[in-house]
Amino acid sequence: MIQKISAPISVQLVYDHRRHSVAPRRLLWDGREYPVTQVGLHHTFREGRTLFHIYSLTSDSLFFRIRLDTDTLFWTLEEIADGLSN
Amino acid sequence: MDYQIRLDFNSKPSTVMHIDLNSCFASIEQQANPLLRNKPIAVAAYDTPNGCILAPSVQAKKLGVKTGMRVKEGKFLCPELIVLKPDTEKYRNIHRKFKSLLSFYSPEVTPKSIDEFVLDFSGTPAFRRGLFDVSREIKNRIKAEIGDYLTVSIGLGPNRFLAKTASNLHKPDGLDEINKENIDAVYGGLTLTDLTGIDRQNAIRLNSVGIYTVTDFYHADLRTIKAAFQSICGYYWFLRLRGWEIDDVEWGTKSFGHSYSLPKFLTKAEDLAPILAKLVEKVGFRMRKEGFQARGVHLALLFEDHEYFHQGLSLDQPIFSSQDIYRVAYRILRHSPYRLPVRNLAISCFDLSDRTNLQLGLFDDRQKKDNLVKAIDEINDRWGNFVITPAIMAGTEEHVHDRISFGNVRGLI
Repeated sequence: MIQKISAPISVQLVYDHRRHSVAPRRLLWDGREYPVTQVGLHHTFREGRTLFHIYSLTSDSLFFRIRLDTDTLFWTLEEIADGLSN
Repeated sequence: MDYQIRLDFNSKPSTVMHIDLNSCFASIEQQANPLLRNKPIAVAAYDTPNGCILAPSVQAKKLGVKTGMRVKEGKFLCPELIVLKPDTEKYRNIHRKFKSLLSFYSPEVTPKSIDEFVLDFSGTPAFRRGLFDVSREIKNRIKAEIGDYLTVSIGLGPNRFLAKTASNLHKPDGLDEINKENIDAVYGGLTLTDLTGIDRQNAIRLNSVGIYTVTDFYHADLRTIKAAFQSICGYYWFLRLRGWEIDDVEWGTKSFGHSYSLPKFLTKAEDLAPILAKLVEKVGFRMRKEGFQARGVHLALLFEDHEYFHQGLSLDQPIFSSQDIYRVAYRILRHSPYRLPVRNLAISCFDLSDRTNLQLGLFDDRQKKDNLVKAIDEINDRWGNFVITPAIMAGTEEHVHDRISFGNVRGLI
């Protein structure tokens, strides 16, 4: 089941200069904390000239799609899913 | 069969590599969402029952789900099928990452579609290393740097056609070469329609001159193949099958077009007008961005009962503004003799010319119009498409989504 959501969330992001990697570690949404277990994909796109970063990740049995607006540096939760058919 | 004209198989080493990302859209979705891995999923134009399946996953293919099926047919074969709508930006991103990685090995990297690349290794240091080693390294780097769930099939051959054919021999995750030594064995295991470019109709043409197998096709003389195709295509096939390069051609831009399958069929021209306006805006924006103007507009309508109407109009003067294209397209739409529910609407601009040569009109100020259109395009480019649109487009937000065409990667990078 996929559910579209458009809600502001808090994200803990870690930049590791030795591994040249950036990855979300923890999400805070709707009063609950979700540790990131796996980042599936990171991709970017532009809407006009604004660059957005999208992280597709899982926290245990939940999938999250989160978006960073590089103009405002605000995070938005766009979608959650459980990996089952609608 | 009469073998009169002979040409030896090209003895050149296999310098061409064809790379095909297996089940592209579905694999990328499974890469993004680990909870979907090893499950039957499909990316479809719409997730409604009549939506067209664009890409089933490897697991869905094993259960009989195929590209082109309706979602309801896929669900009938596989009730647990997970259907997703396409995320074009995600696929374009992966395409760019692939291109960047492959450019490390050869300066000649040609994207053939969103999920296919051709590399020419002639004269490159990578070729001296051995292309099987290079292929394995590419596969490993794709997993390490782009996505651990992504697999590619790689084909090697002396020309593009044989490299592509080799990439189709074992899917997913294949690695094969077709060369002078194994050509008879490979052709012996294929049917005519396994060859890229030979559809059912072409197979019937070949049957009509006594060619029933790929081996027959390979050993047929030029005169026989020419008799089947009745065109220069016969000669191209004669060369292609023997490993000579005929497909390394850059085709120029001939037209810009966009089509849309309506989720709800509409009959009246007034109801179709907003969607037509949005298609025109997309086509016009892309055409102007590439620096073209057009002297022709073509409109095609596919009706609910699969009746078809299409008409092209050639114009005295080239046009470039979306407003002008829309005016011509709407005129054609009104000329349609049918009053049937429309299921698919397609618009294209043809007879292109360079927009830098603006010919001044006698009655309208083309320079002024050019400045206005440029200003609108700049605003739409800065803030995202469709910030400024014609009023008639109001309410079309849910129509004409971003799509990736099959084969065409123009303007992708």
